[in-house]
Amino acid sequence: KRRRTDAVEIEDRLESLIIRVGEKSTSSLESNLEGLASVLEADINNYKGKILKILSDCAVKMPEKTTIYTTLVGLLNAKNYNFGGEFVDMMARKLKEAVKACMWKTARYVLRFFADLVNCHVISTNSLLQLLHTFLDTARDDNSPQVRSDTYVYAVLSCLPWVGRELYEKKEQDLERLLKHIEIYVRKRSRKHMPGLRVWRSDRPHPQEEYLDCLWAQICKLRSDNWQEKHIARPYVAFDSILCEALQHNIPQITLPPHHSDNTYTFPWVVFRLFDYTDCPEGPVLPGAHSIERYLIEEHLHNIIKEYHLERKQCAAVLLDFPLKHKIPLEYMIVEVVMAELFHLPVPRYLEICYGSLLIELCKLQPATMPQVLAQAVELLFDRIDTMNVCCFDRFVNWFAYHLSNFQFKWSWDDWLEAAQLDPMHPRAKFIIEVLLKAMRLSYRQRIAEVVPEQFDCFVPLKPEPVYKFSIDTADADLPGLDTAQRLESVVRAKGSTAEVLQVLAELPNPLRENEDSEPTHNPLQIQVFVQTLLHLGSKSFSHAFAGISKFLKVFESTVGNNEEGQLIVLREMHDVWSTHQQMVVMLCDKFLRTQIVSCATMANWIFSKEMTSEFTKNYIWEILHGTIRKMNKHVAKLQREVNEARERRTGNESDDSSSDDEEQRPRPSEEEIERMEEKLETAQADQKNLFLIIFQRFIMILSEHLVRCDTDGRDFNTHWYRWTIGRLHQIFMMHNTQVERYSQTLSTLLFTQDLEPHILDAFNQFVALRS
Amino acid sequence: SRADQERMLHLSTTLYVGNLSFYTTEEQLYELFGRAGDVKKIVMGLDKFKKTPCGFCFVEYFTRDDAEMCMRFINGTRLDDRIVRTDWDAGFVEGRQYGRG
Repeated sequence: KRRRTDAVEIEDRLESLIIRVGEKSTSSLESNLEGLASVLEADINNYKGKILKILSDCAVKMPEKTTIYTTLVGLLNAKNYNFGGEFVDMMARKLKEAVKACMWKTARYVLRFFADLVNCHVISTNSLLQLLHTFLDTARDDNSPQVRSDTYVYAVLSCLPWVGRELYEKKEQDLERLLKHIEIYVRKRSRKHMPGLRVWRSDRPHPQEEYLDCLWAQICKLRSDNWQEKHIARPYVAFDSILCEALQHNIPQITLPPHHSDNTYTFPWVVFRLFDYTDCPEGPVLPGAHSIERYLIEEHLHNIIKEYHLERKQCAAVLLDFPLKHKIPLEYMIVEVVMAELFHLPVPRYLEICYGSLLIELCKLQPATMPQVLAQAVELLFDRIDTMNVCCFDRFVNWFAYHLSNFQFKWSWDDWLEAAQLDPMHPRAKFIIEVLLKAMRLSYRQRIAEVVPEQFDCFVPLKPEPVYKFSIDTADADLPGLDTAQRLESVVRAKGSTAEVLQVLAELPNPLRENEDSEPTHNPLQIQVFVQTLLHLGSKSFSHAFAGISKFLKVFESTVGNNEEGQLIVLREMHDVWSTHQQMVVMLCDKFLRTQIVSCATMANWIFSKEMTSEFTKNYIWEILHGTIRKMNKHVAKLQREVNEARERRTGNESDDSSSDDEEQRPRPSEEEIERMEEKLETAQADQKNLFLIIFQRFIMILSEHLVRCDTDGRDFNTHWYRWTIGRLHQIFMMHNTQVERYSQTLSTLLFTQDLEPHILDAFNQFVALRS
Repeated sequence: SRADQERMLHLSTTLYVGNLSFYTTEEQLYELFGRAGDVKKIVMGLDKFKKTPCGFCFVEYFTRDDAEMCMRFINGTRLDDRIVRTDWDAGFVEGRQYGRG
């Protein structure tokens, strides 16, 4: 037993030594590596498996330390050739597993590690070239989507900064042949997906390049610089005399798995560019858009965010402690990278508030420089907002209001005064309006009104106040329902029951009733009086309103039920009461959906209805619609999970007789139970499909109507309204792309047919291109 | 018992939020806390006698994941110029909204 604990202790010590090599230390990296190599060499016989595992994990999990670990492996290989061989085999297995499981990042880092092992004389140049060609061969596979070959070609390109120089010196012709292959591929690729993924429609001042195009341009630039790059630290150079003595291995033959329809590939993206060197006049020069340093530093910063995104303080500290911080304008590069993630399309990797809180920490940690750089970024974003993607516009508004709320709403508002003269639909005016609305939600109206210059009075939101149609003070004495509303008010105030409320409502005549024989499906007056009075009484806070709705759910059930017209009246009356309080409207819509008073389909129809025309381009409307879709999606996902689990429990038990305690507690579901669950899922999926069909159909209708009207009137169709609306259509495709994808076929046969107006059809085509 | 309490805290989807301004409203809290995930319920802390807000509240999320996001990204940031403090709570029980005033 004693021996075992000793062994565990030694293994833990080895792990810690290997993981920590390259961290700040009093002695040089070279001597640390030399020392570690000697320690490991001595332990290889007893702990080989463990050492191999730790090293291969570090190789893919700490890409920023690639060259440190390749050097270490190089030193070990020089001392123990068999160990080097086993390591290469292990990495090859890792690569095979990664490409099989569609873990593209891992695959890319293994390939890069192999490339750098060439520099350390662990792997022969020829066997690396062979592997790179295997990756490039996917470009010839006509039966697979472009995203597949893109993924492999990107992996090849991204390892060239490491090994380019070595290949150039030793195998120039082979390298040129490789590059020729890539060039042919890059030239012929389709870029249909690109417009949908751009943060800006315009290429001024900075071209918006697709990621593969951009990296290709950076590699070409590197080639014209004779493969000299200055960013990567290469500790193996110091050990050249030892390493050049070592024997090299060949990477085992790897066959890439063919395309399968279940495979997911790296989503393409467009490289986000905010700054160039003229934006940061002081200090070190910002590497140009096509310099390889820009790529390498950005990738490193993205990796830091990935690693530390759950710990914002640590993340900010690590970012600001970037290894080469004195050689680059670090704050600018950090802001550009964080903004790139925030604006990433179709959706950001992490919650928006993750980036928001990170930016706050960065400002707190580096108060002398960070706030200024961030302010400069906001100025540039505002300058370029005219052509900004609507998804990004929303995120910009939400983030900026949140950021200001953390810094006392201090901002140089005076710089934006000219926006007050613009059409309120103009993106700049709209940005300020929406920021103030969001800021008000995080604060209160008076404060926002005081913080902005008086020229912005036109932008300051109205005071949020309920308007009660049946108020005794303001209503016309002959307003139908007035008396009933008064009685209803006292019944509810006296804590009356559902039955009493229904009794009061029953006295209202039904304006829809034409004769004694026909019974209308609902009574609009009843719904009006009920909804208005209930919301009026619950107007003190969200909790009050929610409590009222929950208490009288049965009243909603009997007066509205599943009737779509009735549900629309609920929404209309709610909006009439709270037209000056967007957040209340958003919250009440959410509540109506959760309590199933209103269906998702009705919500969508209401948003596109005539009476909402004046609200249509406002952000809160889209907050409601996306919230509706999200709720639908979550519902379907939950049912799907339940069906999958039930099926697993059923089949899992059959194959495995030894049931554990857990399984005994949860009896295995019967075939009928599973069938019932599947039926529920199918119904939900049908609802989901229906919701998307409604939304897209309404979009097509209003957009077509606009285009036709402009055409007959001889006006330009490309108005602010048009751009917002087509932008919102794009947004649906982007934000919910995984769900919409399932109904792609139906959409293309029913709605997005070839005879559709090209501008509208384009939105659909861009979405389809994301996965093709 | 103490162990039960610990287990409750590990499963909890509710946070105790402290150091709020007495003027901070439920609406502001929904806006801020909604950014970490879907908020199920907010209960305002009230002065025992005056029944007015007194600087704390309970925020309940639908899921544990969302509550964790809140602990990570909202705890320690500002609302109404005050640093908001969030902490795990074993779950709101009627009566606990009344503070010492």
